[in-house]
Parts: sequence; C-alpha cells; structure tokens
Amino acid sequence: MKYLVIIILIMSLVSAPLFAAVGCDLNDPDRDVKRLFPDSTGYKTLYVTIAEKGGDALLRRVEERLGDKFKGLFETADVPYTMYQIFKGKDIIGYIHGVNQKGQYGGVQVVLALDIEGNIRAFYFQKLTNQYAKLLLDREFGKQFIGLNLKDFNDYDVVTGQAKAGSRMAAIKNPAPKAEEDFRAALRAAKKNLILCDEFLLGNKYLK
Amino acid sequence: MAKKISIYQIAYKNLLRKKTRSALTILGIGLSAWVLISLLGFNRGYESALNKDIDNMGFQVLVTAKGCPYEAATLMLKGGTGLRYMKESILADILKHKEVQQVTPQLMAAIFDPNRGESGGINAYLGIDPATFPAMKSYLKFKQGAWFTDPNAFEAVVGYEAAELEQREVGDKLLIPEKNVELKVVGILARSGTADDGTIFVPLRAVQKIFDKEGQITAAGIKVDKNANMTELENKLYDLPDVQVVSMAQVKTTIMSLVSTAKVMVFSIALIAILIAMLGVVNTILMSVLERFQEIGIIKSMGAMPWDVFRMIWTETIILCLLGGAIGIGFSFALSKITDILIRRLLPYTPTGSLIAINAQLGLITLAVVLGIGLVSGVYPAWRAARVRPLESIRSEGD
Repeated sequence: MKYLVIIILIMSLVSAPLFAAVGCDLNDPDRDVKRLFPDSTGYKTLYVTIAEKGGDALLRRVEERLGDKFKGLFETADVPYTMYQIFKGKDIIGYIHGVNQKGQYGGVQVVLALDIEGNIRAFYFQKLTNQYAKLLLDREFGKQFIGLNLKDFNDYDVVTGQAKAGSRMAAIKNPAPKAEEDFRAALRAAKKNLILCDEFLLGNKYLK
Repeated sequence: MAKKISIYQIAYKNLLRKKTRSALTILGIGLSAWVLISLLGFNRGYESALNKDIDNMGFQVLVTAKGCPYEAATLMLKGGTGLRYMKESILADILKHKEVQQVTPQLMAAIFDPNRGESGGINAYLGIDPATFPAMKSYLKFKQGAWFTDPNAFEAVVGYEAAELEQREVGDKLLIPEKNVELKVVGILARSGTADDGTIFVPLRAVQKIFDKEGQITAAGIKVDKNANMTELENKLYDLPDVQVVSMAQVKTTIMSLVSTAKVMVFSIALIAILIAMLGVVNTILMSVLERFQEIGIIKSMGAMPWDVFRMIWTETIILCLLGGAIGIGFSFALSKITDILIRRLLPYTPTGSLIAINAQLGLITLAVVLGIGLVSGVYPAWRAARVRPLESIRSEGD
C-alpha cells in the first residue's frame, strides 16, 4: 500500500502542467539540415536546458565565458535549447544550433552550423526585424564567420562590442552601421551559441 | 471473562480469511468507483471549462465584415490577406439592441515583413479600444507594465508568447515593417492560455492612422446581457448589411452536442463496469456464504437469529464496497491530471481549463452510489445465509 501511495504521488506530480520558456527551433529542420550539410544522411534533435544540465553553477560559468549576465524576462536558465546532431551514416559530421537574442526591434535568431571541431560552417539569421535587415541578412555578412570558433570569439567583448586589435573578430565588419544594436546582438548570440555548443556538445573543448 | 465481539469485527475477520479474493473484489469496486467519479467530474468540469473559455473571450458575439478572417491564426494562414472592413459607425447600430451590454471595436492589421526569416513572414497587430477592451477582458493580467498611456499613442501591449518570441520587455521598441513606424512596448501580458498570448495589441486609433484605415474596423466584440436571448440577438444582427455573426453560443452548442455523444458512450461503459463490479461482489459474498454453510448453521444453532446472520453477511458486503469506493475515490483525486490528459487525447476539442472537476461532494455522491450498489448486491447472499437451516447445514458436513 505504501508503494502504491508513492507511485500515485509521483504520477500526479509528473503529470502537472508545465510552462516552459521558448527555444529556437529550425523553421524546417529536414530542409535546413540538408541545405547546411548536403552530405548528411540524418539528424538527431537534442533538447537541453542550463537548469537541467548544471543549474546555477553552469549558468554562472556560461555567463562568465560569455562575459555578460543573462538578462531580462526571457534569457533564463530554463530556456530549452534545440541542438541538432548531424549524421552521415553512423558518424556525427556536425551540429546546428540556434539561439534567441534580444534585438533592437524584436527577437533575433542566430543559427550556426558547426563542424565536429566546433568551427563555424555557416552563419545565418532565422529571424531579424530592422529597417536595415537586408544588409545583415546578406550572405556576404554571414560568410565573415565561416571558419571561426569559440577561441576567436574569446577575443570579443559582448558588453563593449570591442574585439582585440588584429584578431579575426576585429575583422568582422558591420554592413549596417545604423543597425549597430542588432549587429552587436548577432555577435553576442553567436558567442553564446558557441559556448552552449561547447558545453552541451563538444565536452568543453574550448574551456580554458 | 469472555471478550464480546461485534458483528462488524466478525464480518471484517471473515473477509480477511480470503485475503486475495477480498482484495480483488475491492480493486474491482475501486476501479468502478474511479470511472464513475471521473465521469461525474468530467460532466461538471468540461462544461465549466468551456464556459470559462467563452467568458475569457470577453465577448460572446463577434460581428465581422462578411468573409473577413476573425482571428489572427486564420489571417496568418491566408498570408495576411483577406481582411475586410466595416464602418466604425456600425457600433452605434449594434448598441441600439437591448441585449447588448457593451461593444468593443477591433481593427486587425497585417503586414508582410520580407526580412523576417529566409522567406519573410507576416506581422499582425490588433487595434483595440483602450476604453472598452481591457474592461471586457478583465482576466488579462500583466507580467510587466500596463495598458496604453493614451488612446492615440504609438504603443503596444504584447501577449506573453509574442513577447517571448520577440524578446520584448517594457520600454523596448517594435518596428512595423514597410511603414517604418516604431511602437513602444508598455505592457507584457502574463500567460492566459488563450489566443491573446500570441497577440500584439495597439490602440485602435494608432492602427487606423498607421494603416490608413480611419473610421474602419474589422470586427466588433459584443458582450451580451446574461439573461438575453442570444439567438434573437444574432438574428437581429444579421439585419445589418454585409456582416457575419460569430456567436460563441453556437460554438458552445456544437461542441456540447459533440461531447454529449462521447459522454453517452462513456457512461454506458461506466454502467457496464458498475454491473460487472456488482456481480463480482455478489459472487464473492455468495461463495463466502456457501463455503461457510456449516459455520453459519453452527452460529444459528448457538442462538443467532436469521436477521443476525443477514446483518453479518450484509456488513461484509458494505465493508467491501466502502473500502473499494474509498480507494476508487482516492485514485480519482490522485490521478485526475492523468485522466485529464487521456481525455484531451481522445476528444477532438477540449477547453483550456481543468476537464475533471472532482470535489468532496462528488466523492460523497460516488461513495453513496457504491454503497447503494453494495447494499443491493448483498441482499441475495445475505438472504441465502439467513435461510440456512442449522441441522441441515451441520448434517451436510459429512456429505
């Protein structure tokens, strides 16, 4: 009887309604995966949150690596991150991950495709609202990020928007100076994206 | 001095002699009681959740221009096209009807944002009247901020999910693409579980100005007097030129008729479950009586009257039913959320509130029903036991 009561209690707790924060899924995963990894044969979707994977301690470490605090109503430890492991046969050939970032006029969604070493293969905005969005959405802007990894982003301060002189990050040009806020939001989103990939997918390969 | 034992103790001890059989019978009764109380709870919960959903809409009747999509989701599906407009003066015509308590104008505006994502997307804004809309939707609570500071202000109140997607907070800006108009976010709504969670609200006058639709609206929400005849009002509203009337009363009737079909089926299943449990009780007690044929004979030869024996057997039945009923009721309280989830999966439409409304009153009703069934089920075995002839039963031992 004691066990029955315990089981009933656990089941009633498990079935409690949950309201989770919103993540950043790919708009069309089948299409997007094939476009970003043409030689892929499949993908696996992982859902992770900082709260579940390491709680406050992990949140602090991510913030420290980012060089900035998580802010506002929606940048919290319970945001579910949707990570895509890309397969060719049985082998993982890369990862895709998108993050939401507060922009000047709305949510900015920055999606990165990484190789298994954590180098950026592709950078693009899945969502961006700005009068000058066209310039930031241009493929040439995204191309500037190809080949960069978290080590390069460590040269970039997301709070001041300054990169170490002579670094690869310093070479990234903003094609829309009037959309500086969204340009910086994109760089912060990309750095945060890489940190989360390092934490959850690459086994903290880039952790100093 | 010999210890006096009550009839209840004898009945209880008798049940303990065949533990597995008694436990299985109790479980059977428990499951029937669970089904019964869950169904009674569903009967109450579904309708009240549906009523709450309809009340949460703030208005029971929506008048739109003929062919106009009246909710954002439809508008999105249509790619932001298909909006039709009515003159704002229609509000005065609507207010003339005595059944109308309040009316609130709305202007839906949608615009294509070519830079949203890879292939663009639709942004929709709902222009509302700050004087009437918030009062009608009093259930809307704020996570941050408040309603607009001015009826003409270029401000926005954002539903929780829309705010989460747009990462907006009070003080942030929203941009209306193509128009290049900035809106200041003054409020973020808390989750309401309704379509309002995904809506961006802007003062009606501001939307009219931004989208060049002065004097025009796409819909009028009507709060109807509680005692009014809704059908009569609908017919009157159809006399207005080129409008369509969307009544929540119609929607409710349709949903309730769909659900009542399901209810009849499920109640039939419950009835069968109760009958099976009843037969189980009769079987268990009758077997117990037949097995104790000689024992009952001895009890009677020692002076027990037929009524004493009847009471003893009847008490066994009542104990089984009370325990089974209590377990079933306990299950229903503990697992109501799971039952809720299961029902949601089965039904084509379910309102947002709790579908299973179980309370102590329903628990007592169920217990009374189960006890009633037990009393009826116990009559025949108890009567058989009461009729046992002492000498005949004792003699049968050697047979």
